[in-house]
Amino acid sequence: MLSYSVFFITVAAILAIATLGLNLQWGVSGQFNAGVVGFIAVGGYTLAVLTIPASQQLWVRLEWPFALALLASLAVTAAVALLVGLATLRLRSDYLAIATFGIASSIQLLANNLEKLTGGSRGLIGIPRPFAQLTETIGTPFGVQGFAWAYLAMVLLILALVCAALQALLHSPWGRVQRALREDEEVCAALGKNVVRFRLTAFILGAMLMGLSGALYVGFVGATSPSDFMPILTFQIWAMLIVGGSGSNGGAILGSFVIWGLWTLSGALIVSVLPPQYQAQGGAVQSILVGLVLVLTLLLRPSGLLGARRG
Amino acid sequence: MAAYHRIIGASTINTSIDRANVVKALIGAGFVAAFFCVTAPAVAQDCPKLGGVIALTGAQGAVGKVIADAGKLAVDQVNKAGGVKGCQVEFVIRDDTSQPSVGLDAARFLVDVQKVNAIVGLVGSGTALSVVNSVSIPNKIPTIACCAITPALTKMAEEGKTGGYFFRTIPTARSMALAHAQATIDKGYKKTVIMYINNDFGNGVAPDAKKALEKLGGTVAAMVPYAENQPSYRSDVTQALASNPDSLILIGLSQDATIVLREWFSLGGTQNVVLHNTLRSMDVIRNIGEKFLSKAVGIDNGQASGPSAEAFAKDFTAAYSRPAVGPGLHTMYDAAAITLLAMQAAAKLDGPSIRDALRAVQDPAGIEVGPGVDSLKKGLDALKAGQKIRYVGATGAFRFDKNGDVTGPMLMWKLNNGEIQTEKTLSLDQMNALEQKAGL
Repeated sequence: MLSYSVFFITVAAILAIATLGLNLQWGVSGQFNAGVVGFIAVGGYTLAVLTIPASQQLWVRLEWPFALALLASLAVTAAVALLVGLATLRLRSDYLAIATFGIASSIQLLANNLEKLTGGSRGLIGIPRPFAQLTETIGTPFGVQGFAWAYLAMVLLILALVCAALQALLHSPWGRVQRALREDEEVCAALGKNVVRFRLTAFILGAMLMGLSGALYVGFVGATSPSDFMPILTFQIWAMLIVGGSGSNGGAILGSFVIWGLWTLSGALIVSVLPPQYQAQGGAVQSILVGLVLVLTLLLRPSGLLGARRG
Repeated sequence: MAAYHRIIGASTINTSIDRANVVKALIGAGFVAAFFCVTAPAVAQDCPKLGGVIALTGAQGAVGKVIADAGKLAVDQVNKAGGVKGCQVEFVIRDDTSQPSVGLDAARFLVDVQKVNAIVGLVGSGTALSVVNSVSIPNKIPTIACCAITPALTKMAEEGKTGGYFFRTIPTARSMALAHAQATIDKGYKKTVIMYINNDFGNGVAPDAKKALEKLGGTVAAMVPYAENQPSYRSDVTQALASNPDSLILIGLSQDATIVLREWFSLGGTQNVVLHNTLRSMDVIRNIGEKFLSKAVGIDNGQASGPSAEAFAKDFTAAYSRPAVGPGLHTMYDAAAITLLAMQAAAKLDGPSIRDALRAVQDPAGIEVGPGVDSLKKGLDALKAGQKIRYVGATGAFRFDKNGDVTGPMLMWKLNNGEIQTEKTLSLDQMNALEQKAGL
């Protein structure tokens, strides 16, 4: 049980980092990014490609250490986000959503086809996992392996740092301008604020957090393939933000744990409750349950569990 | 879940309660309830438990449900035959919703909380990569895939990084590729275009088919990959026709391959086509148009021939009132059945023992055991008596190679008066010889 809890918290915390990124883009700055998974993929693949052993016969054979590759994935995601941001500069709301959705699909297709760069559809496996040498179990009789603890500690530390930095940003003059932009762009422009630059920086910073999340996930699992980055993940991150409370960093984190828990534990629950002859139909019940809870939360708390304080 | 709904009911009636707290409380309560429900039955036991990670919903859901049924059939039959180590085996199936991260979570839960001794299933290659790398290997859980064919796992095994815990009952892409090449050569085609679906499946088979075909004396006019789930493949077909081929090898799933073939024939493509096993169903054939396929030849695992395959087909139809046709059914049955036999054969129910036993129940000198309650009972009894057995499955005779992959017999089929007929079979030995000759 403890071993599973460590695993669950690690994954949920990694997803929370992406949700924080989306909160910066949507909750704070009001930019509708429907291509979250694209930036997660860029971060994840950058880490994978830079650290994977040269024996995989890919174009890139650098075998960088994890920490350096993590920084590189931030940089690469930032560069991609800058390009995307510039290309979609004049798009707002639903137009921006469609454009970013398309870009994310393109990124997934590129990953599927650039076989010499990303391993293509067959996927990459054997990506070095940090702390992998800590194989002895700490905290027996619970049987949790050392590297799981170490990775959890690292992810929680990063999450705390990211959250603290975002909290500071949110209450700085920069954050106030972002919120003003979200409410009324023209007023901001009239007050002499550089709308383009403010929008771009929020978009890029948010995307970098998504890239960070992808890199941490790939480093944790040690394998990746294009099917890790399907549009459903964008939907999940959005669900996390909306249920948690758009505009609130605490809400983004809470929402990530709640939605990911619902998504995965509902499956476990169904398996233990349904009689054996209906087990094969359990999947459909799981989808209904997740949808039901989403709808109920929205009906009861339209602004999310920890709704943003406006103004 | 009952408690959960009651709290929701209360909050809608009594609006004076702070909604935030109610929502937080009910979510908390739900989780606590979830954990208790799930963990309560999972107390320590000495009986074997089998976990299944199978896509029941999502993109692969349509095939996944039937695959789960095939797995359940194997477990039910073993239980009817007396069970494993004196216990009725519990088979816990989890849905990966066709998303690798959900599948990984399910596998972790099965291993950490429900303490399963082995995992079977794994429809998508993405899920297989995640589960094998971060559950099966570190936790020493034998994992037997029914359907994931990604060559990345073979490569990993070759580098000695799987610890031998990964197996699959689906013949590797290599066997399929060899059969395609051989069928093309048999027909005397000289200039072949290969059209294939651009996913892990197509990319696994197509390059090897090209390599084998060229080694065996054919030529490849063009390789044309096409995307999944498109309403039309006209541009891909036009591109393929532009290379002026005398024949077509089509490596696709039934839905997309049907569209490709319709457009291929309507644009004047040749009727010299070599088809994949995904089209080996009269429903699909009629959809394409039988009259265009009189010269067609298809390939498949050597599964439909032989008494062991017929036994499985009969039992499956009896259990679920539907024919045993579809991808992954036979391989899933074999994955579950051979794992349970291995659990019986293993001295202990730990990972290394089951891993080694999976090979031991394929002893060439052993008693032949196949699908069906009676045959499985014979096998289980023989194992209890300390005898050796050889499992011959729903997919016919197969053997795990050193990487845990399977080479199996293949067959070629054709249409004859509205019926699918086996034209030729390639035995295990012939396949091995062919592999040598093709240099794969």
